[in-house]
Amino acid sequence: MEKRLTLAAAAALLAVIGFLPLLTMVTNSFFVDGLFSLKAYQALWDSGRQQLVLMGQSVLLSLYVTFLATVVGVPLGVLLGKTDLPFRLTLTVLLTLPLLIPPYVIAVAWFAVLGSGSWISSLAPETSKYLSTAYFGLYGCTGVLFTTFVPIVILLTIAYVGAVNPRLEDAGRLVSRWPGVLRRITLPLIAPAILFAAVLVFLLTLGEVGVPTYLRYPVYPVETLTQFAAFYNFSAATAAVIPLLVVTLVVLALEYPILHNQVSELRTVTFGGMRTQIKLGRWRLPLLGIVSVWGLVTVALPLAVLIAQSSSLSAYADAFARASDSILRSLVFAIVGASLLTLLGFFCGYLIHNRTLPVWRGIDALTLFLFTLPGTVVGIGLISLWNRPISNFIYGTPAIIILGYLAQYAVLPTRMTSTILDRIPRSLEQAAQLCGTSWFTTLRHIVVPLARRGLIAVWIIGYVFCLRDLGVSIVVYPPGSDTLPVRILTLMANGTPSLIAALCVILIVVTLLPVGAVALWSGRDRIGA
Amino acid sequence: MKKTLWISLVLLAGAAIAVWYFKSFPRAPTVVVYVSHDQVFSEPILKDFEKDTGISVRAVYDTEETKSAGAMNRLIAERNNPQADVYWANEPIRAEVLRQQHIAAPYVSPNAAGIPAIFRDPDGYWTGFAARARVLIVHSDINPRPTSVLSYTDPRWRGRTVIANPLFGTTTDQIAALFVLWGDDHGRTFMQDLHDSGVKISPSNGDSADLVARGAFAFGLVDSDDVVNRIKQHQPIDIVYPDQGVDEIGCFIVPNAAVLIAGAPHPEAGKKLIDYLLSKDTERKLALSNAAQIPLHSGVTSPAELRPIESMKVMSVNYAEVAAKLQAIQPFLKKWVGGG
Repeated sequence: MEKRLTLAAAAALLAVIGFLPLLTMVTNSFFVDGLFSLKAYQALWDSGRQQLVLMGQSVLLSLYVTFLATVVGVPLGVLLGKTDLPFRLTLTVLLTLPLLIPPYVIAVAWFAVLGSGSWISSLAPETSKYLSTAYFGLYGCTGVLFTTFVPIVILLTIAYVGAVNPRLEDAGRLVSRWPGVLRRITLPLIAPAILFAAVLVFLLTLGEVGVPTYLRYPVYPVETLTQFAAFYNFSAATAAVIPLLVVTLVVLALEYPILHNQVSELRTVTFGGMRTQIKLGRWRLPLLGIVSVWGLVTVALPLAVLIAQSSSLSAYADAFARASDSILRSLVFAIVGASLLTLLGFFCGYLIHNRTLPVWRGIDALTLFLFTLPGTVVGIGLISLWNRPISNFIYGTPAIIILGYLAQYAVLPTRMTSTILDRIPRSLEQAAQLCGTSWFTTLRHIVVPLARRGLIAVWIIGYVFCLRDLGVSIVVYPPGSDTLPVRILTLMANGTPSLIAALCVILIVVTLLPVGAVALWSGRDRIGA
Repeated sequence: MKKTLWISLVLLAGAAIAVWYFKSFPRAPTVVVYVSHDQVFSEPILKDFEKDTGISVRAVYDTEETKSAGAMNRLIAERNNPQADVYWANEPIRAEVLRQQHIAAPYVSPNAAGIPAIFRDPDGYWTGFAARARVLIVHSDINPRPTSVLSYTDPRWRGRTVIANPLFGTTTDQIAALFVLWGDDHGRTFMQDLHDSGVKISPSNGDSADLVARGAFAFGLVDSDDVVNRIKQHQPIDIVYPDQGVDEIGCFIVPNAAVLIAGAPHPEAGKKLIDYLLSKDTERKLALSNAAQIPLHSGVTSPAELRPIESMKVMSVNYAEVAAKLQAIQPFLKKWVGGG
């Protein structure tokens, strides 16, 4: 009973935090001056041809980015997660860095690499001119978003190749070499994870506004932004979001049966067993070279430009003078957000894993749906619901930002927890139940200790996403309580490049702090063991 | 022992967060201001206000470049439960929209007296200060120079001009002003000619200025502060004040605007902030900083790179009419940008 009640409360909380604001926003769009009206939707229908072109361009960009991220991310994930490639941890951290930085910062950094005034332009002006021209448009958008989102594919591939039952691979190794085992056993088994990663990349690209705006590639989400920013028409803006929601729902509907029919094959029944590792042999160094060059060109180069731009003490002094309060706030918000995300995600993930209540499928779909919505949409939904005198204690305080984090990023802890629980044999919990142990005691003494390492990873991912959040924060942050990414964006207008670069470097360092702390801690833990 | 230590640490952290959370509630005296002027330039002014008056400022910043659903949209979304006391708009049209939507409250500041009437709402719903001029940024190699906004439609410049997206910011304001001055038919013809001239649409005025400075285009219509910034960077560009001839329409001026919000939680502190923003001292600071805003009070030093307001032929236009026209022509502009 306590189990069902707790899980129902978690599901209800998620619905209030995530679904109710959207429902309020959509409901409001049907009313003009208190009277029912379809005017906003009629206007959208009337401009159908133009919308279709923009949507086509959005889908094209999303397909390009998804294709490239999958084709490059899966081999990199296998190399980093399954082989004895040297410096795997270092390379994984390096290749994951772009995910920690707001995409518009990466776009700006790449312009500093390719544009006029860069070292390329001084060495080869014609090449720089060509690259600079090509950068502004579809190719530039694809490149920037591909480097931003490819870590999603890499990380999920690493996580899932580690979850494949080693006995299956060992059996395969009896009749085939590793390439054959990978092709016929490992990759087909993790295909749902790859598909999930591809879907995430597709939907995140589809909702992206900052990079296409900066690189002048017209996409559909700009339409919703235009409605908000130029027309001050909330009903029209909400109506403009609907086609985006429809595409998102269609993609999720296509992904669902494939993912949920095959996911059971991934479950490792030998919890705690050794992972099998591919010995690269003579390919070790050449592959290290290829991965290193890839990391240096796609990640280190733009970051090096940022660091070079910020390389003066005065830039950092100015950055701290202008943004020390925002840095502190970002840290606190991210720590609180990540902790609550881990808690909420644990119960929602448990619900999805055990399918305790019939609503599990709805909760799973809702979290993914909220994640793929543009942050500004989630933010406007939150304003619609919470901006009332009675709820000022939430709307007028940082609590509104935390609610935004919970709504937008709940999918990460939920799905990660569900995967972590997949690797804990159910028999342990059932045995405790047979002994008459309460559910909370079972969680405390069996499930949580076994899932501890995974839950720490969940917390770190939550922390990273809360810290880099811009879409929700910029719309709802209380007066005087902006976060570091918001401060960077608002200072980008006429702020000096060295100041912006210094703030970006600070953001990256602050993001990496807990990752470094956990790496140190787990290293000590291992030595202690 | 270890467990007790952990629990103590968690409790301590929780207590610290709780204290910080409750400290984040507004404390008197406080003023809440939503700002559309660039944070780099507006924040020092607000800090000075805090220092001079002892009133704590809590700000929400927005930027024209981001075009995000920022300060203005928050004001509209919060109309039934206002959080802001003052809106510092970076152009008067947004202020007018707030007046029309009953979000602004009237307040005639004593410091508004020295500001020309054209830059003020007659009922005090908004008051202009520290302005930008809409000027042509021209690449130094270009000769002869364009002299008017009508130069955009001169066949000589076909495919060599750039303009910021007319759906946003000061470019929208200027197009709406031209519609007001010329009438709808003439305005639409101009826009059609502009479209046929192969003008390049850039995301912002800053981008237009950069494209001209790089030599990608001959000229573009931008804000005066965009030109001043490039001049300070020694880029190969010049400034042209358009339409300065006897029979010409003059240069469109875009002042900042201070607005008191209807139902503001701290109206008295809000009025003090508006007084401060409209003072000669604030105009002087905004003129001498990199914001390079042109003072509207007479006798205040202008930025060295720009003409003072008195020595410019200013476009004579009613900003309330411009705001109304802007909303009326938005569907047309949307189609125009979409190529329709």
